[in-house]
Amino acid sequence: MRAALGLVLVSALALGACSSGGDTSAEGGDTKASCAPSEGNVTLTYTTWIPGIENVVKLWNDKNPNIQVKVQTGPNGNGGTYANFFNQLKAGNAPDLGHIEYDALPSFRVQDGLTNLADCAEVTAAKDQFVDWTWGQVSFGEQNAVYGIPQDTGPMALFYRKDLFEKNNIPVPTTWEEYAAAAVKVKAAGGYITNFSQSDISQFAGLSWQAGGRWFANDGTKWTVNLQDEGTTKVANYWQDLISKKLVSAVPPWTTEWDNAYNTGQAWTWVSAVWGANSIKSGAPDTSGKWAVAPMPQWTAGGTVAGNWGGSSTAVFKGSKHPYEAAKFALWLNTSEEALTALNKEAQLYPATKAGAKLPALSEGVEFYGGQKIYDVFATASTQVSPDFVWGPTMTSTYATASDGFKAVVSGTGTLLDTLKTTQAKTVETLKSQSIPVAE
Amino acid sequence: MRGKWKALTFFILPFALLFAAFYLAPIGYAIKQSLYKVERQGTFGKATEVFGGLAQYERVFSDGPFWESIGRVLLFGIVQVPVMLGLALIFALLLDSGLVKGRRFFRLAFFVPYAVPGVVAAIMWGFLYSPNLSPFTAVTSNVDLLSADFVLWAMANVVTWVYVGYNMLIIYSSLLAIPQEVYEAAKIDGAGALRTAWSIKIPLVMPAIVLTTVFSIIGTLQLLAEPAVFRTFSSAVTSTYTPNLTVYSTSAIPNFNLAAAFSVVLALATCVLSFAFLKVTQRGGDK
Repeated sequence: MRAALGLVLVSALALGACSSGGDTSAEGGDTKASCAPSEGNVTLTYTTWIPGIENVVKLWNDKNPNIQVKVQTGPNGNGGTYANFFNQLKAGNAPDLGHIEYDALPSFRVQDGLTNLADCAEVTAAKDQFVDWTWGQVSFGEQNAVYGIPQDTGPMALFYRKDLFEKNNIPVPTTWEEYAAAAVKVKAAGGYITNFSQSDISQFAGLSWQAGGRWFANDGTKWTVNLQDEGTTKVANYWQDLISKKLVSAVPPWTTEWDNAYNTGQAWTWVSAVWGANSIKSGAPDTSGKWAVAPMPQWTAGGTVAGNWGGSSTAVFKGSKHPYEAAKFALWLNTSEEALTALNKEAQLYPATKAGAKLPALSEGVEFYGGQKIYDVFATASTQVSPDFVWGPTMTSTYATASDGFKAVVSGTGTLLDTLKTTQAKTVETLKSQSIPVAE
Repeated sequence: MRGKWKALTFFILPFALLFAAFYLAPIGYAIKQSLYKVERQGTFGKATEVFGGLAQYERVFSDGPFWESIGRVLLFGIVQVPVMLGLALIFALLLDSGLVKGRRFFRLAFFVPYAVPGVVAAIMWGFLYSPNLSPFTAVTSNVDLLSADFVLWAMANVVTWVYVGYNMLIIYSSLLAIPQEVYEAAKIDGAGALRTAWSIKIPLVMPAIVLTTVFSIIGTLQLLAEPAVFRTFSSAVTSTYTPNLTVYSTSAIPNFNLAAAFSVVLALATCVLSFAFLKVTQRGGDK
């Protein structure tokens, strides 16, 4: 408790240390000068939570003595780094570059925390190198807007325990209907088909994305929030049914308990993103060689639609004195073959560039998955992700409310649909309290 | 006279400066923040902070989950604080009574949990409570200590574990300050060990108990580390489980103005409760 007291005091200090009148930066004025090279040697700061990033940045630092990059690492975004970024922006001491997932970019833009890189010729010229929808995420579909360099994507597929499915003669599901049928058989065989993510709502977002759900829209004058559209409702009812019938487990995600459920064969599948390959490998080492990857189950037989879960960009924060150099580094980090290969080797990141899908490192079989060339599945999925999913400007709040509700659902109170309704109302309220225009 | 003032200023200044910089200024800043609101034009319009009067406080007072969380920590405090301080008092009396061999060892042993950072303690206990990974799965797989029915008390146990030794030490040092003559007089009057404890030691260490109670009330209302950690592995702990967690979640949106208003209200509530407790106990002492 006293630690808590200390924490509050420290954060009060952090708040107190900055004076309040810092909002004077001129918007849009001096466009040409805003992306000019700096004179002399430059040191950039870069905050991220990519494991092993030091080794990747070292490649750059060795070759660019004039532009040195200092890495700071922290917990993943919603685990604390975003809160730090917001505090640093308020205090005027944010790093030059930061790791921001696509779903958090609008929040940072609405807080006026990002540098628009559209004036950097090298950045705008790189547009065509990236998978189309990722550019939409960093440009918000606007002309003359680039608020980050796409880094990786999270096309989704089905990870499943090949050995257990074969042993029990259960066909690998290709549609959600078959998936539910398989869930019954898996339960009969003593396992759970999967673990419903009660507190990481981004998986649910990815599933809704595939089903055609579109949570937010922005017509330039106001936001619309709709967490109860046809696609999302379909997904909510589907999982509610599995939860009610106790066909899925509900171990909190990203815990040792969760790893244990996969490591001991209690959970048989995981509908996850490409980076999930690494999560299983590190969390369930005893199951090496027993997994395989299949395309994501479809809502209509023969369909070819994939969802996306996660994916990040490298953004330049407002207040950076060296946007030109920062953009240059971000471009190298996310487009050059050596950086992308290193990022994949260190952290299994899946590049957001079109050429990245053809990296030699991504065309090899993966031992943990019985030698299967799993990245082929994700390369296909990547092209099947619908490009028009828009994230809201207060996702932290939306996720928190939805997660509070989903947790109650797995404990037996309420339904997923109720939660989506509450979350929508609460999101609208949060937007209003920030004076962000929103349609009722 | 003049020299006296000079000396006074000289000695007070370092404290006054630090106190102002690290105590008054942040409080003043928080109050100021809480009176502002944000205005902007368009979906990604630039935000400007304008004076908003009590707009944020209106939100605070109409926020159901926040007041629910205040009720929750009050319930927590009513049960946990007496248990923790009762244990601390018993341990202090035992150490002081001379009944225990290896007094030094136990004094240190009780105090060690306090040296464990709150977050680490919460993570460690989280493992002990875990339904599948706990060394006591015989219990935890049958009774889910992390479920809505138990999790508040599971956290109370963590807090008690951490702070019993700390409170014990304050009470114990106050016991050591009791003059030997008082004990001699009691002995001559024929008082046994229990009688001495009840009629002499406890009344004389009352100020220490009051002090530790005030600390505990403040700590309870500001509960943050334990619920923040438990939130990651318990379905029952929401993002607004305790008042301070609400402040944290709100500032993570980020909505600093509203978070400041929550903080100010929480600080006022803490002040009122602490002073009310002091008043009540002091009145008792006068009689």
